Parts: sequence; C-alpha cells; structure tokens
Amino acid sequence: MKKKVKIRTWIQLAMFIFVAIIAVNHTLVESGKGIPFLSRASLHAVCPFGGVVSLYNIITDGTFVKKIHESSMVLMYIVFVSSLFLGPLFCGWICPMGTFQEWTGIIGKKIFKQKYNRFIPYSIDKYLRWLRYGILVWILYMTAVTGKLIFQDFDPYYTLFQFWTGEVAISGFIALGLVIILSLFVERPFCKYACPYGAVLGIFNLFRIIPLRRNSDTCIDCKLCDRVCPMNITVSKAGKVRNHQCISCFECTSDDGVCPVPGTMEFRTNSYKASPLGSEKVTK
Amino acid sequence: MRIKANVAATVLPVLFIVGIFLSSAVGYWKTESSKNSTKFTTGIFEGEADPADIRGSYSFSDLEKAFDIPVATLAKAFGFSSSENPEGIKLKEFEERYGIIGDFEIGTSSMKLFTALYKGLPYEPEDDTGIPQPAWNILNKEGATEKETLETYSERVVSLEGLEVSTKTAEHTEKSEETIIKGKTLFSDLLNWGLSKEQIDDALGMSMEAPGDSVRDFCSENGIGFSTVKTPLQKLLDNM
Repeated sequence: MKKKVKIRTWIQLAMFIFVAIIAVNHTLVESGKGIPFLSRASLHAVCPFGGVVSLYNIITDGTFVKKIHESSMVLMYIVFVSSLFLGPLFCGWICPMGTFQEWTGIIGKKIFKQKYNRFIPYSIDKYLRWLRYGILVWILYMTAVTGKLIFQDFDPYYTLFQFWTGEVAISGFIALGLVIILSLFVERPFCKYACPYGAVLGIFNLFRIIPLRRNSDTCIDCKLCDRVCPMNITVSKAGKVRNHQCISCFECTSDDGVCPVPGTMEFRTNSYKASPLGSEKVTK
Repeated sequence: MRIKANVAATVLPVLFIVGIFLSSAVGYWKTESSKNSTKFTTGIFEGEADPADIRGSYSFSDLEKAFDIPVATLAKAFGFSSSENPEGIKLKEFEERYGIIGDFEIGTSSMKLFTALYKGLPYEPEDDTGIPQPAWNILNKEGATEKETLETYSERVVSLEGLEVSTKTAEHTEKSEETIIKGKTLFSDLLNWGLSKEQIDDALGMSMEAPGDSVRDFCSENGIGFSTVKTPLQKLLDNM
C-alpha cells in the first residue's frame, strides 16, 4: 500500500529539486555564470501566487507587480484549472514549501509518535485555520496599494530558496525558523495557518468537480483516515469532504492511501449508490 | 469518474508542460521583463511609449524596438563605436562608463531625456541629468523637439571628449575605487564604507530595505532617481 503513495513523494522530490535548481541558476545568471540550457527565470517568475497578487494591477492599469511576469499568470491559470477539478492538488503534490514541512515533520513524528500533529486543541485550532485568509486579504491589499511584492519579506518559501542571495529580510528568516520549529509539532503549519496561496486554492474545495467521497455503507469507522490526514480533517464523519483545508494528498484513500476497505474513500464525481444491505458494514 | 493517485500525479505536470508550451507558442510565456515601456494612456501622446519607464536593463536593441530609434543613432549619441556591438549594450552600463561628469550624470536618465527629446515626448528629467554632446548634436539635427524647447536643455550638455579616460583616472587617483558608487553598489557596501543607515535613509527619503539590495535596483523599484540618491551619498563618502 505504501508503494502506491510513494508516487507523491517522487513528484514532490522532483519539484523541490526543480525549484531549487531554478533558484540557484538565477543567482548564477546574475553573476554571469548561468548553466546553459536552463531557464534564467527567477523564483518569482515560476510562482503561480505572483499571478494572484498581480490581478488587481493587471485589471486596473494593465501592468504586473514588480518582479512578476506573464509566466506567473500562466501558472496561476493552470493551477486554477487543476483545482477546479481536483482541489488544491498543487499544495499536496507540487509546492516545495509543503514538501519541506513534510520532511521536517518526519523528525517530529519520530519524536512525538502518535501525539504528533495533535498538540493544538480543536477549540483553538478551528479559529486559527481562518488566519490564512486574513493574511491573504492583507497581502492582496498591500500589494495592490504599493505595486510591490509585499509578502516577500515574510515569505518562508522565498527565504528557503533565496537564503544565500543576501536579498532576504530578517523577517523572512524568522518566518522560516518558526515554520521549521512548528513543523516538529504540527504537520504543515504554514499551510494550515498562514499560506495565502493555500487559502486561495482551499476555496476550490467548496465546489471542486471531483471531491473526496466516503462510502458510509462500507466504511468500518476505523478512523485511519482521520489519523493520517496532515490537515487534521475529520474525514470519517463526512460523506463528501468539502473542507477548505483539504490538499488532495490521497493519503486517506482506499486505492492509494490508508483506507483498508476498497471503494470506500475515493476522489470521484458521482455519489456512492446506497447499498441494498442498508447500513450493514463490511468487516475488516 | 474516479481518480487515482497515479492520475493525480500526472495532471499538474502535464498541464504545466502543455500550458507552458502553448503560451510559449503564442508568445505569452515570459519569465523576464518584456522591455516594453508603459504607454501614455491619456492626452495627445496616448498609445506612445513613455520614456520615463525606460530601465537600466534595456539594451539599445530594446530601445530601438520600443521607440523606433535606430541602434546606430543611440550608439552614436552616447559615444559608443560600432565595434562595441552596440545592440547588446545596456543602459546601466552608462553609469560605470561615464557616471558623474561635472555637475551632471550620464546614466539611464540621460537616455530617457534623449529619447523624449528625439521623439518629441514629454519627460521631466532630474536636476542632474546630463546630455552627451554627440546626443545633443543629433537632437539638433534630427530630433522632433522644437529648437526653442531644446535650447532650454542646453546647459545640461556635457562633452565626452577625453572624459572616458581622464574623469575616471582622476577619480581613481583621488579615492579608492571601492568607495565609488556604481550601478552594482549594494547598501551593505555603503554601510561597510562607513555610512550610517540614517544617512542612507535620508538620501533615499525612505528606509532602505535588505542590505543585500543594490542601491540602483532599490531606486528603480521605488521610483526614485538613482542619480538623486547617488550624488549626496557620494558626497558623504568623499568627505569621509
């Protein structure tokens, strides 16, 4: 079963390396030593969130926010299309910052075992989950007003891939340090509480064409799906998961994740047909 | 329809490849500045490229495309010979090649002014923006600006004769090359040379950001004339 999940790890690893190479090569290009045949693009140029923060400027005066180019818009549209069908696939499979947090979290899992990712009480956590929308609104407003990438100085992703350039503000290092420390206790803390792009893509969960569905007729209530969910979503109580925090990681599914009952937890367009046996459960 | 992880794994990479390929095919995929100046949106110059948006990263070739001024004319105006491959010369190189001459600076703003006067477009130069003598000669000969208006800029004309060598030589003998503010100078360089953050902030009129930022890029991003910052900072350095 683990083998099937591994494809996500490979995709994440490949994207992390790809972005790291782009970032390093851009530094080399600026010093006149770029690697031939590799893109000269900056980190900003390959970030789809740049397209989101540029939307206001493009609509009002037809220009991009400084350091953002057409490539960010293209990537933004692509990610939006994929999210319309499969939700924040970008977060769960592509985003190097999410990958980095997962890797850091491996240490936390080894230290805290079952307690890992269960430190913050639900009564507090449920409010903290809306924080990223506040951050998103602040960024969109400030970027529109200033025409500058206002989040750059606080962005742990930018810091992670530019820390050697001397262009990273101290606040960026603090943000990255916090994310690393928190990742030892909480899975994907930046995604859950602070990522503005995750906030945008999370909205697609509310109307995505292919949602995560649970077949309550065959579900054995083992709660493995709840335990494995990096975003702490209570999957075992949902018929159709519309939670704005789902990252489409497939960790809870029957085919590729931990669900032990085939055909019980799947990303699918149509609902499960009611079993003729009523609520009779399939035993483990 | 049911989606498995192996399908999910291919969706975004395939969409990225197809999307980038298609956008490249139609010429939309760009990861660097397009080098197209913004255009005037109102008034009699509506639709014309705005010289004020010319940047140091523009090459003569970029300017030719944006403003329809031949590379040969631009090169001649700014004292470059045809053997120097003028198509690829970037405006930011002016500051290293010429920099401050007398009371004026020959830099990117000089090209903004030359372009504006050559095409008869509006542009408000900074107080210390200079015009090289060859550029002045071209403007008088074939520029679109009326002679009377052009004459109001005559005091900005600076000769390039012998200056390329003599000016730099003089500067080099008087002070260490390390303390000359150039296009590549970083805020951290200024701090290392003994300026305080307050002095730098005063010159900028705002707070400097990351010490690793280049002064010129910071000015460009914040709409501040590099020369208006460079001059007072250089004076502070010279007096140390």
